[in-house]
Amino acid sequence: MLEALAEQIINGLMMGSVYVLVALGMVLVYGVMHVVNFAHGVLFMMGGYVAHFFFARVTGSYVLATLLTMALLAVIGIAIERAIFRPLAGNLRNQVIASLGLILAIENLTIAIWGPNALQLKLPSTETLVTIGPLRFPEHQLLIIAITAVMVVALSLFLKRSRFGTAIRATAQAREAALVVGIPVERVYWSTFAIGTALAALGGALIGPLFLIFPTMGDAPLVKGLAGILLGGMGSVPGAVIGGLSIGVLEAVSTLFLPTDYKDSIAFMAMVVILLLRPQGLFGVRVRGED
Amino acid sequence: MSSRLALIAAVVAITVLYSLPAFAPDPYVLHVLVLACLYVIPAVGLNLMLGYTGLVSLGHMGFAGVGAYVGAILLVDVKHGFWVTLLLATLAAGFAGALVGAICLRFRTHFFMIVTLAFGLLAFSVFNNWDEVTRGAVGFPGIPRPRPIELGGVRYTFGPLPHFYYFVLTAAMLVFALQRLVVRSDFGCTLMAIRQDEKLAQAKGVDVMRYKVAVFALGAALAGLGGLLHVSFLRVAAPASFNLAESINAVLIVVLGGAGSLVGPALGALVFVALPEYLRMTAEWRLVIFGALLVVVTLFAPRGLAGLFHSRNIGVRPGSDTNVK
Amino acid sequence: MMKLLAVEGVRKRYGGVIALADVSFAIEQSGIYGLIGPNGAGKTTLFDVIAGNTAADNGRVIIDDREMTGALPYRLVRQGVARSFQECRVLSEFTCLENLLFAAQPKTLGHGIAQIFTRRDAHRRAALESARHLLDLVNLTAYADAPASVLSFGQRRLLEIVTTFIMRPRVLLLDEPAAGVNPALLETLDRALRAMIAERTGVFLIVEHNMTFIFALAHEIIVMHQGVVLERGTPEQIQASPRVVEAYLG
Repeated sequence: MLEALAEQIINGLMMGSVYVLVALGMVLVYGVMHVVNFAHGVLFMMGGYVAHFFFARVTGSYVLATLLTMALLAVIGIAIERAIFRPLAGNLRNQVIASLGLILAIENLTIAIWGPNALQLKLPSTETLVTIGPLRFPEHQLLIIAITAVMVVALSLFLKRSRFGTAIRATAQAREAALVVGIPVERVYWSTFAIGTALAALGGALIGPLFLIFPTMGDAPLVKGLAGILLGGMGSVPGAVIGGLSIGVLEAVSTLFLPTDYKDSIAFMAMVVILLLRPQGLFGVRVRGED
Repeated sequence: MSSRLALIAAVVAITVLYSLPAFAPDPYVLHVLVLACLYVIPAVGLNLMLGYTGLVSLGHMGFAGVGAYVGAILLVDVKHGFWVTLLLATLAAGFAGALVGAICLRFRTHFFMIVTLAFGLLAFSVFNNWDEVTRGAVGFPGIPRPRPIELGGVRYTFGPLPHFYYFVLTAAMLVFALQRLVVRSDFGCTLMAIRQDEKLAQAKGVDVMRYKVAVFALGAALAGLGGLLHVSFLRVAAPASFNLAESINAVLIVVLGGAGSLVGPALGALVFVALPEYLRMTAEWRLVIFGALLVVVTLFAPRGLAGLFHSRNIGVRPGSDTNVK
Repeated sequence: MMKLLAVEGVRKRYGGVIALADVSFAIEQSGIYGLIGPNGAGKTTLFDVIAGNTAADNGRVIIDDREMTGALPYRLVRQGVARSFQECRVLSEFTCLENLLFAAQPKTLGHGIAQIFTRRDAHRRAALESARHLLDLVNLTAYADAPASVLSFGQRRLLEIVTTFIMRPRVLLLDEPAAGVNPALLETLDRALRAMIAERTGVFLIVEHNMTFIFALAHEIIVMHQGVVLERGTPEQIQASPRVVEAYLG
């Protein structure tokens, strides 16, 4: 029993890491631009497909393919920010509706180009097993956890220690003040979007080899990422990390008691419960909403 | 468009639609129009929510599913009559809307949208996995058409395509009539005020939460109605008809047609269903184009297709909200 | 005497900032009252508390001798309170007339739903007359059927004020009605307010920074400073008060 629990916790940490990557991107964009980018899921999915493309057609190196993917998706993210979100700034409803259009277009474009069937990205790291005590895990699974941890640390250092990172935090806290002080707010916006998109793409590129690459692979992580942010508190980076990991672990452990069909529902129900009991999440600040 | 011109256009359109089976009995055309009507009914519900009140619900088709499955269970398992079932299923969906609304609408815009998304996904999960009740992913078969009725000595059956077409066309007309009644009433006025400036509406004495729950329930009920008619037409209820993609399609139809306009849902549904058939596109490319169109419309033509016809309309500009936070 | 509007011991803090330290006053006579004070005195916060937009940390709000502490805005409206906003809020997509008719119409959900089917609009026709009269009062008759978005800022202010008045309030809270209004329209505003108070008695509580405007209009001035009521009296008394001068200059 304890073994099964430990196994699920590790599984949960892995999936949770993927959710963290998605959540981080969204929480950054939300914190700075006060927009929830619902299209984040399809960007995650594109990460998987583009990584597959680079790996299969351009370079046999998975690492290089992933880096190229992150770079390309970052550029796409910038384009989306400038062409769609910036012109609609201040109009929340229309930003969300536009992101729905993006989801439709991108998801179906993927099906139109690659077909509805899943792609496979075969890597040695998915086959090799690592032993931890009595348990055995694919090397790739632990790789995901490790890489995410590195990204989280790197991001935190960047936000806290670097000049531009501080500029991002300042813009998130008080946009007008940031403008006054001379922070290039527009650049902060598209940079944040680029970082967020790159992280989502990384998530897709990492999970692809383990679970196949298919057009709707971003839908669930989007929702789980959102659940993670809600749990951790909108606008809180450490919250996104803890929230994302928690959702992953919660899901995985739930398979021990509930039929696996309902695993996905855990995140949905968690969202509703959080919003009912503690809408500001674990680390968020309670704002008496006037809207 | 002046209201007299609009009235003439409406009369012409209605006449054409009703006489279609007599002049152009091509079953393909009728099939497409039936689908359009079935998309239109939930779209009107979403139009009232999104277009007039400003509530972006991302799980609208979940309520269509509630109506469909409750109806399916009542028709097939409990063997109720069709008309009673129609009423009960619509009420069930409306009730679900009130319940979900009472939970979701307490939250600010973003959180509200996220919770509607969660509910839509939760609903789909239930339809797809609760095999004992909903028959799960394989679908719920055997959903009947209404039994034949006697209309002034004439026996009317719902099996033949033209007959079912008249049925759903009439249902759609009634729904549009209801929409007009609602929009042109004090209730509708209040909804539009809420969309433009909630804080101001409150300061003028509106219990905003109650109104939002009420329109949410109404929209959900209409979705449920459409859902049941849909599965009666197909004779089977499939979870895929009520998933996230379909909820996004519903938003697409409303926004493309013109959110916050009376004729918007009809234009949107027609374009959504009819155009791709006419252009012979595959399903994927159609949605790519529509997705791109949705982005374009939001950026450059927030009033949608209806905006091309109307010079000015109260509350038809979802892109020009002044107080959205 | 009946307390038309009273606050007792109202406190409100936002994080570390004390907006209202301990505010108490009672108004027992109809009339125009000015509420003045240096920036940060807490005037708009007080309005937010009275009108239900914010909950006070402590204290009571009394309208017509009824305790209305913590009530939501719509309930206060039904009790006879109406307010305008510092930033000036009108419904931009509605015409001036529609703005007024909306303000006048019954807002309960029951009425709203019933009216969908009964189509009764007698109340609307009655309000129409009142609306046209009010538009005339503020020289906006020409804009009756124009969307409010075409109005200048000052005109929008006037529209906002008459929409509050058509609600037949017993307590009318106006937050800086003269701010941003050009001098020509100020005269119209002054005349309109005098006409309105003459038509229907009630308490007009007006926050203002424009001293000339409010001192000419109000028959009593309440001065706030640093979250408390500093002084209260006629405009002449307040002008002569050394404490008030010090509060503004100190």
